Amino acid sequence: MGRIFVVDLDGKTYRCKFCKTHLAQAEQLISRSFHCQRGKAYLFNTVVNVTSGSPEERMMISGLHTVSDVFCCSCGQLLGWKYLVAHEESQKYKQGKFALERDGIIDGADSEFYIAFL
Amino acid sequence: MRVVEDGTLSKRVKVSSGKIGGLSDDTSVGEQGSCSLSGSMAPLLASEDDKVVGSNGVISKVEFVRIITEALYSLGYSKIGAHLEEESGIPLHSNLVLTFVQQILDGQWDESVTTLHQIDLMDENIIKLASFAILEQKFFELLDGEEEMDALKTLRTQIIPLRVNCDRAPELSYFIVCPSQISLDKTHSQESRLSSRKKLLGELRKLLPPTVIIPENRLVCLVEQALDLQKDNCRFHNSVGEMSLLVDHQCGKDKIPYQTVQILKEHYGEVWFLKFSHNGRYLASSSCDSRVIIWVVNVDGHVIMRHRLTGHRQPVSYISWSPEDDQILTCGDDKTVRRWDIDSGECLCVYEKQNLGLVSCGWAADGKSIFTGVTDKSISMWDLKGKEVESWKGQRTHCMADLGITSDGKELITLCKENVVLLFGWETESERFIEENQTITSFALSEDGKLLLVSLWDGDIHLWDIDGCMEWIGEYNGHTRSRLLVRSCFGGLEQAFIASGSENSKVYIWHRASMELVFSLSGHSGAVNCVSWNPANPHMLASASDDHTIRIWGLKRVNSKSNGTLEKV
Repeated sequence: MGRIFVVDLDGKTYRCKFCKTHLAQAEQLISRSFHCQRGKAYLFNTVVNVTSGSPEERMMISGLHTVSDVFCCSCGQLLGWKYLVAHEESQKYKQGKFALERDGIIDGADSEFYIAFL
Repeated sequence: MRVVEDGTLSKRVKVSSGKIGGLSDDTSVGEQGSCSLSGSMAPLLASEDDKVVGSNGVISKVEFVRIITEALYSLGYSKIGAHLEEESGIPLHSNLVLTFVQQILDGQWDESVTTLHQIDLMDENIIKLASFAILEQKFFELLDGEEEMDALKTLRTQIIPLRVNCDRAPELSYFIVCPSQISLDKTHSQESRLSSRKKLLGELRKLLPPTVIIPENRLVCLVEQALDLQKDNCRFHNSVGEMSLLVDHQCGKDKIPYQTVQILKEHYGEVWFLKFSHNGRYLASSSCDSRVIIWVVNVDGHVIMRHRLTGHRQPVSYISWSPEDDQILTCGDDKTVRRWDIDSGECLCVYEKQNLGLVSCGWAADGKSIFTGVTDKSISMWDLKGKEVESWKGQRTHCMADLGITSDGKELITLCKENVVLLFGWETESERFIEENQTITSFALSEDGKLLLVSLWDGDIHLWDIDGCMEWIGEYNGHTRSRLLVRSCFGGLEQAFIASGSENSKVYIWHRASMELVFSLSGHSGAVNCVSWNPANPHMLASASDDHTIRIWGLKRVNSKSNGTLEKV
């Protein structure tokens, strides 16, 4: 499918578990304590090398949000979602940020740990 | 504007019958020779009241007739020219000017300077410069005739007191001492005396105001200006040749490549990159099967495979043609750079750096060295044998990015950060930057090196002027890009068009100046990754696609009888 354009990040980075594409820098991590139906998720300020799906309204534990799913641009794996609009005032801080599921990403230190189990 | 009421009109008629050739407001009334008109010129403008030509009222009739007369004389129709002067009553030049011209041609130098003073030019400086030129000619002709004392006298008493062109005077005195140098300076011995006087006349014509002597070929000059304006306004202009004076110039879209004329199927995988050589005779393309193909462009426009280059272990993402078009550099995911000979298809050299990878490549302007980007973000320069000659460390290049070189060879163009283009003067280590507000995916340089096309993450293409100060010129969009590296290029006559690939399998062509989308060409069945416009043929465009083919786009199908291998689209 052509030459996929990926951006490489410096420093400590989180990557896609499946194809190791860089996703976010460690400095961009805001919170480790997010949850979704499938398990834990991390909240990031910005991520790279992702494509978005179409926006949809979703009822989450914290309320109604407009989100779009994000996929890894290299392997297409569903990685998490992007908050587009938060309908409750207390949740507005999430707008524009990305939540990536813990299961789909690895950070630099963990990679060997995961390889042993694959 | 020459719209005048009747009262002043008649006044002007009277005044002009007394003034010959004086039309603009600052021409004086004092020309003496005017009364001695020959009888046949007497009925001046009496029959026509119109002082202007054309519906806008901005063209003075007298000026118009004068430049037509000048055009007739320039074309060699002196009889008609003289007749026009007579019939219209509008002489081309005043009698004083005619006298002046004749005196120059006859070599009556002092008399011509006197006449010059009589033509009221309103500018002392022009009179002095013209006198200087005339006296300089007199000086050289005297020296030529071996009359050194007279020449010296001219220099002392006539030229120097003018006090213009002051550094020329010592040079002239040098010529008295060394007359042999003159032939190097003024080619007196080669040209006949008359032609050198005519040359002097040409220079004087440029010096004197246009109201006194009409500039040569003024009408042709005006027509060419109008044609240039029409050409600039023609959004689809893509062919050289004569422009008709009979209708306003407007090309149709039919001179821009719009039809597939050939499909090249020799690649085994998705085609990621392609580029025509500078002379337009070759095309190099690479695919994700790690092979590079060199194609030859025949005179009839048909493209044939010449060599299949194997050697890289991973897909090749960039190809750079040498300035002489005899070699190419290739680089790709295996992070080495290879140099190949076009004629034989052999790999001449492999460039590698220990523990590091080479991610981009480009030729130096003299073709004797190459530049590469390195994974540690530095840039290296190598000689042709594979030895690294120099290295510039620091944040010079971002991984797997393009490398370009300006046409004077002095600056390297790389992406030093995601959203910043660096123009790096490699000899002086000077740096200039272009900053965008989003990630840059690729860039392309125009043939003349003055413009840079930057492709952005959200699909827009920005045009920058990099000659002198960096200025954003415009934006082109309409195509789609969300995941892939999609390239764009300049092309067409005088790079008047921009072309780009797109993820929706189409090729997009915009008119550069107006930013208008001209075509979106369908045909490919996969994303179009790269486009290249033949620099030598404004009607040939090539596109590389994920459907494993390259399409050559042109104006009309090449005649299928000639080669039998054309595919139906």
